[in-house]
Amino acid sequence: MIENIVERGVRLGEKLGVSEIEVYAIKRTGINIVGTVRGIERISAGERIDVGVRVVIGKKATVQGGLISRVEDVDAVVETAVKIANTLPEDPQWISLPRTLRMSQVEEIVDPRIRESDIGYFIDIARFLLGRASEIDKRAFTSSVNIHTATIERAIGNNYSEALREESTELVVSVSVKATEAGEESGYYDVYLAPTLARFKPEEMISKATEIAVKTLGSKRVDTGVYELVLIPRVLAGVLQPLIVPAVCADSVQKGRSPLKNKVGSQVVSENLTIIDDGTHPGLVGTRGFDDEGVPTTRKYVIDRGVLKGFLYDTYTALIEGRNSTGNAFRSVPYSTPVPWISNLIVEGGHGSLSDLVKDVRRGVVVYSTIGEWLSNPVSGLLNATITNGMYVENGEEKFPVKGVVISGNIYDVLKPVDIRVSSERESCFGRFVLPALYLPKITLAGK
Amino acid sequence: MINVETARQVLEEVLKKGAEQAVVRLQERVYEAIVYDTGVLRSYTVGKVVGLGIRAMIRGGTGYAYTSSLDRDSVSRATGKAISLARVAGELGKKSFAPAPSIRDRFRVEFRVDPHAVDPKLKVDLVKEVNTNSMKRENIVSAVTRLGLERDRRVVLTSEGTEVEVDVVGVGLAHMAVARYGAVIERVSDRETYIGGYEHIEKRDWNAFAKEIDELAVRASQAKTPPPGTYVAVVDNEVVGLLLHEAFGHASEGDGVVAGASILKGRVGEKVASEFITIVDAGVIEGGYPVPYDDEGVPKKRTVVVDRGVLKGYLTSRDTAQELNLEPTGNARAQDVSFDTLVRQTNYYAEPRDWKVDELFEGITYGIYLRGRGAMGGQVDPSVGTYTFSIGPSYIIRNGEISELVRGVVVSGNILETLKEVDAVANDLRITTSVFGGCGKGGQMVRVGDGGPHIRTRKIVVGGD
Repeated sequence: MIENIVERGVRLGEKLGVSEIEVYAIKRTGINIVGTVRGIERISAGERIDVGVRVVIGKKATVQGGLISRVEDVDAVVETAVKIANTLPEDPQWISLPRTLRMSQVEEIVDPRIRESDIGYFIDIARFLLGRASEIDKRAFTSSVNIHTATIERAIGNNYSEALREESTELVVSVSVKATEAGEESGYYDVYLAPTLARFKPEEMISKATEIAVKTLGSKRVDTGVYELVLIPRVLAGVLQPLIVPAVCADSVQKGRSPLKNKVGSQVVSENLTIIDDGTHPGLVGTRGFDDEGVPTTRKYVIDRGVLKGFLYDTYTALIEGRNSTGNAFRSVPYSTPVPWISNLIVEGGHGSLSDLVKDVRRGVVVYSTIGEWLSNPVSGLLNATITNGMYVENGEEKFPVKGVVISGNIYDVLKPVDIRVSSERESCFGRFVLPALYLPKITLAGK
Repeated sequence: MINVETARQVLEEVLKKGAEQAVVRLQERVYEAIVYDTGVLRSYTVGKVVGLGIRAMIRGGTGYAYTSSLDRDSVSRATGKAISLARVAGELGKKSFAPAPSIRDRFRVEFRVDPHAVDPKLKVDLVKEVNTNSMKRENIVSAVTRLGLERDRRVVLTSEGTEVEVDVVGVGLAHMAVARYGAVIERVSDRETYIGGYEHIEKRDWNAFAKEIDELAVRASQAKTPPPGTYVAVVDNEVVGLLLHEAFGHASEGDGVVAGASILKGRVGEKVASEFITIVDAGVIEGGYPVPYDDEGVPKKRTVVVDRGVLKGYLTSRDTAQELNLEPTGNARAQDVSFDTLVRQTNYYAEPRDWKVDELFEGITYGIYLRGRGAMGGQVDPSVGTYTFSIGPSYIIRNGEISELVRGVVVSGNILETLKEVDAVANDLRITTSVFGGCGKGGQMVRVGDGGPHIRTRKIVVGGD
């Protein structure tokens, strides 16, 4: 059905005499299961079809769209887009929609067990997770479990090229564990987000969450000062996403909002850090044959041994600089204007394990979770995150739990020292990051 | 176009198929956004969401199904799905819903000029003018100006006879300025939203609005970050709103309380804040986002959560009210019909007291004046009470006087500790909302309002470089 929406929309645009037209349609079908201490609370299911239409008349461009009910509904979207485009001023920087739509070969993006949405199977997982934390440790219990499955069909076409279509699946399982003892409370959550069940290990997930919730009971603040820090992979993801990701996207750079502007070829972080954007990496949620405007996804170095190699582009920002899109067009909703964004972000591994990094800490904190890291400022590079689960470490040994402490600093100063280290072990986090643990030799913590 | 008659037919169908109780929701939402980025029209988008959601309850089980297609077959599939999911859920656990009054009402925000009917060229010209003027200002290297226009119509019918329609129109303009000073680049953003029609856009001087933001960004780019540590703080209306919403509001949501995931569980009747603090969640209030009825069709009452420091109750949906043995407060809300409801805040604020704002600064030898303009928001872990906020450019207080500007201010603390440290509350209540964002929870975004008067707290942790 969605290919029909795309073809119909493009044909109508051509008939109405537009210079360029692109139609993007996405259908999501899935189930949601919510469980709490009371058991399975609710189950829901549904399907939605979203459409986004980009119309260009001369150099006047607009995007319209929304949820639609039937194939024919795309007509009204195209007609409105044409009407609005005619009233707009020209965008002097507009050059063209992508001239050729193609796909890269990608693997592990469909899991039949998710596509078939066997409710019984996922209810069993929810019930297992709900009951397991208190079995592992009587001070702990699972406070909530959310399971979401989706089958996603995407199609895109424009007046230059035949439509592309791709199917993928998605599973999100999040679990929150709470621990209580002698009036003290702590909590921890973990999330599995992937297109397949291949790496889903419910026992490991709930055990880890329970262990951290219990061992961070009785947390306190450390004194304000300078400490060593070890960030586990998911905490590193929380730092990279708001600070480094926007800074390497070409629109931020072109508009003067990136601290990395004019720094291609320069050492911007420690030589121990190599960061790759890879839309073709098997089995991640950012893995797609084509981006949100039909350009094939790619793998490329963003930062190689600390040196900035280049930025991420969609077609609009690429053509402004006379280069090709890197296949990084992203739409926050199907009817938004595409902008450059990461597909999947990979940081290369270094040496040793997480525990090896912790062993070498003389006075610092190993951080298991933070909140507020997404409020960091990508324009100035100021990092801010508040530790919610951490352990104070002295001479390689975890001494007591820490929370309520603010991590601050300029990310490019924080990541610059030559003695930054990354672990060889890496984890997939939040669906689109594959990251090691990171050791930072010197960072300011605001505490007592 | 959605209407009550369609919802009646769906309700009849789902009851006929075996539901003992049911809620039917219809929604039509149009959102129009015009964005100028650094002198260029970056996007003009109009998004429309139309759909239907059905909650069916059978023998203690609840199933929810939705569809964006309103044709007979799709609706029939959705009602069938809601029924089958309710049966599955009923075998796994029982849940019941507190009774709610049967109401027939229609709430509509009055407006003079329909924002979606205004000539697109006029709207584009306004955004262009504000953005290009901003780019001409000294030291401004980048600016994004955004016009947001929204109409959200919701119809909720229940098997108990409730039929409510809520039609809200909101308009606003947001501006972000990026200033450079030497190697430092800094940004400041702000937005202003009005509930009503395009007439509110027409009468505001948006160039003056953007100029203030630009000038603050330039000054912030030349400012230092504050020394990290614990401060006495005077907190402005906007930051108070953020603080209460994040730090206290989420913990007072009944679903978290029922799940044992809130630090406020079991504390009704306990002192949780200073005696100067009274916290209210109100559905319809000047400056806020109107929520006269929630998405279960329950009237959103004025709920006093904290009365002079003492926890009085929680925000509830019908099921959490039943579980907690409370009245439903009308706080069951959903982003759109593709989601079933969660317990959410509406307009959450602190009531004013008698102090004048100036009096809050008296006697502070060294402290900080936390300002909301340019704040990016906050987050809380409601299970343990830890919160954090990114605040706008703020001022150091020296000997009772507002002194130098500081940038990159982040505050952190624990809910129960911070509100107990409040020792003065001013008389200047101000509540605001936004058509550019809202509150996120469980993957759903809903519009909210928040605010309060200026307050003073004796202890708050401030991060810095």
